[in-house]
Amino acid sequence: MLLLYVLVAEWLFFYWAGTTTNRRGVVVGFGTLDRQFDILRHSCEIGLLALALTPIILTAGIDLSVGSLLGLCAILFGKFWHDGGLSIPVAIALTLGCGALAGGLNAVLITALRLPPLIVTLGTFSLFRGLAEAITRGAITYTDFPASFLFLGQERWLGLPTQAWLFAGVAAAVWVLVHRMTFGRGFRAIGFSPEGARYAGLPVARRLALVYVLAGVISAMAAIIYTARLGQAKADAGTGYELFAITAVVLGGTSIFGGAGSVHGTLLGVAAIAVLRNGLACMPAVMRMNSAEEMAGLLTGALLLVALTASVLPQILSHYRSRPHPA
Amino acid sequence: MAAPLLELRELAKSFGGARALRGVDFDLHAGEVHALLGENGAGKSTLIKIVTGAHHPDRGTIRIAGETVVHLTPATAHALGIACIYQQPALFPDLTVTENIALRLDSDPPVRRINWKARRERARGLLARIGADISPEAEVRALSMPEQQLVEIACALGAGARIVIMDEPTASLTQKEQELLFAVVRELRASGVGVIYISHRLEEIFALADRVTVLRDGESVGTNAVSEIDEAALIRMMVGREMTQIYPPGEASPGDLVLALRNLGCAASGVHGVTLDVRAGEVFGLAGLVGAGRTELARILFGLTPADCGEILLNGRPVAPRSPLDAVALGIAYVPEDRRRHGVVLELPIAHNMTMAIHRQVFRGAWLRFGAERLLALEFIRDLAVKCPGPEAPGSSLSGGNQQKVSLARWLATKPRFLILDEPTQGVDVGAKSEIHKIIRRLAKEGLAVLLISSDLPEVLGMSDRIGIMRGGTLTVVLPGNADAHAVMSAALGQKP
Repeated sequence: MLLLYVLVAEWLFFYWAGTTTNRRGVVVGFGTLDRQFDILRHSCEIGLLALALTPIILTAGIDLSVGSLLGLCAILFGKFWHDGGLSIPVAIALTLGCGALAGGLNAVLITALRLPPLIVTLGTFSLFRGLAEAITRGAITYTDFPASFLFLGQERWLGLPTQAWLFAGVAAAVWVLVHRMTFGRGFRAIGFSPEGARYAGLPVARRLALVYVLAGVISAMAAIIYTARLGQAKADAGTGYELFAITAVVLGGTSIFGGAGSVHGTLLGVAAIAVLRNGLACMPAVMRMNSAEEMAGLLTGALLLVALTASVLPQILSHYRSRPHPA
Repeated sequence: MAAPLLELRELAKSFGGARALRGVDFDLHAGEVHALLGENGAGKSTLIKIVTGAHHPDRGTIRIAGETVVHLTPATAHALGIACIYQQPALFPDLTVTENIALRLDSDPPVRRINWKARRERARGLLARIGADISPEAEVRALSMPEQQLVEIACALGAGARIVIMDEPTASLTQKEQELLFAVVRELRASGVGVIYISHRLEEIFALADRVTVLRDGESVGTNAVSEIDEAALIRMMVGREMTQIYPPGEASPGDLVLALRNLGCAASGVHGVTLDVRAGEVFGLAGLVGAGRTELARILFGLTPADCGEILLNGRPVAPRSPLDAVALGIAYVPEDRRRHGVVLELPIAHNMTMAIHRQVFRGAWLRFGAERLLALEFIRDLAVKCPGPEAPGSSLSGGNQQKVSLARWLATKPRFLILDEPTQGVDVGAKSEIHKIIRRLAKEGLAVLLISSDLPEVLGMSDRIGIMRGGTLTVVLPGNADAHAVMSAALGQKP
């Protein structure tokens, strides 16, 4: 709930501080509809990754490889279309399949070999990015995608940026999975107590495999809309996105220790970060110093730490109050 | 006569509502091996923990070598020469024997050159004193269990221990290793150390101890010289308690055979050659000491550690549960011993916990049905009289007994054919305990086959239609439900009745 107030405050502040009128009397900056749509476009990719991470973090896992997988899938998509001569829909389908396979690799290592998710996905984080760079030898950029494809990332459909519809669809699907189906119950039980879940006869390995495979597919989707938005596929696509996505999930109230959290919280977290990053870029003071990126990083970090502190502060205070004086 | 090395007077300790010790007297002289005997939960561990400073007694006095010690902490206990050798040695496996001994004995300032040679020599000397043939250079990881215990004893000697406590030191030792350990204990006694020796093996007590004290329900039943008492008398002292609780009467006529085990075993969990039958409507009690393999048997039946030999027949059909998932599908339910870790997910609401094993039945197509879940939870809350604010309350907000009922409800909801209850009333208050007993009896009456694992002797005796006794990983005897406590305890201790 706190986050919702933060988001509104943030938005109002940037509306006030980031909206200006240029010499010709046209309103520019944060307060324009174009800018708002831009925020939406930009938040779709990190938003998708954050949606992919929410069920994983609910199971007390983590996936550091989603950003690298975005890069790998973007390259694969470009290669399927450009070098393979496949049609766009077939290339998309293949790319989603590859995403599922990559997620499956994480899933097998984590469930069958019982390796810790942090280490497994740290490995695939390097592996996927390395593969993307090997395929392109670090030099090739796939471009010249047809307009019909770029429509997905650069145009509007029914009044909204096209990819926003995809994002909304995925968000709804993940929300239903986590909040309205037994799968979500399984994720939480595993996150709170993996042993307890096993003793309750829950299919722990299958549930864990599901969240990592799903993360692979959603990362591949993010790769498609990323490529469509920029009109090019490069091996460095999505570098560092995993950290923004994890930040968004945790900011949205999902416990990094697993069990507690929600998909709508994640959406708020994504919005809070997106508004912050874009709003800063609109502020004249920040623009003059050309330091939007740095400021964004600094404020995102501060926001996360403040939110985390605020969430544990009541407990800590009550603990101190109730603690008896040492004898 | 000199003052005893250790003198405990009127020692009492409670945990929450449970009174673990109710005024125990105990003393230990120099050059004596004093055995401590009692059922599981009789208060032995609590007594040891007080002597080692881990727990502080609610009342009573502790005198060490005649001096009254008011505030005993682990550090002061160590300084006063009290050392404890546990069943599972607590050494660092990746360090050498020398390093482990140095870690216990030295408190060097952080920045100083270490004299490895002196440390090695000291380790060698200590090991030689107890006649242990262990290289100080060996990594502890490479040592066997008894060798590690010897290293522990060497540490104790090095610290100048005058009082050495040994908590079931022979539980995992072979005959030959035991004899080696016994020789070391006698060595300690000869050098004037006082040894408190805890064991369930009566023959060891007769072979080794000078005196024996029996604890029962947190009270000392008596202290005798070993030469003046026999095994039968000791067992009588351990079990001789009047039945304080009324148990609901049993069902006279059990029905069809539900579960049959034929020579069942699992090497990994040390269970072997278990053959038993449980009928519908029957409560089959499983007694034995801790570590006898009862929980391990339950884990095999529930698919947590699948069997590797023998047969499980369920309603006459051979089955092989490989996971809890399989077991649930077969109609086997297991209410585990550790309810906080395995029985209930404490952070989740009661209702979620109750439906956790029946997702497929209640939530067809994996769609949650909150209304149906709530009704089901409310029904169980009423049926089992769970005291709770409502089905949305988290499991952690309930008392132990009510958590146990939630765990039970989860498994009753699966409508099982065969129900395993593992210590269902451990850490449960008296009221909830008798309610759980009534529920068990009712379930049996309704035709469920129940396997009741319990270390609570009156409970096993009062609730069971038949009683199986496990010892050393296998079922040794099956007694009728009207067997007496003496017979059950004798069998659990491996004595001829």
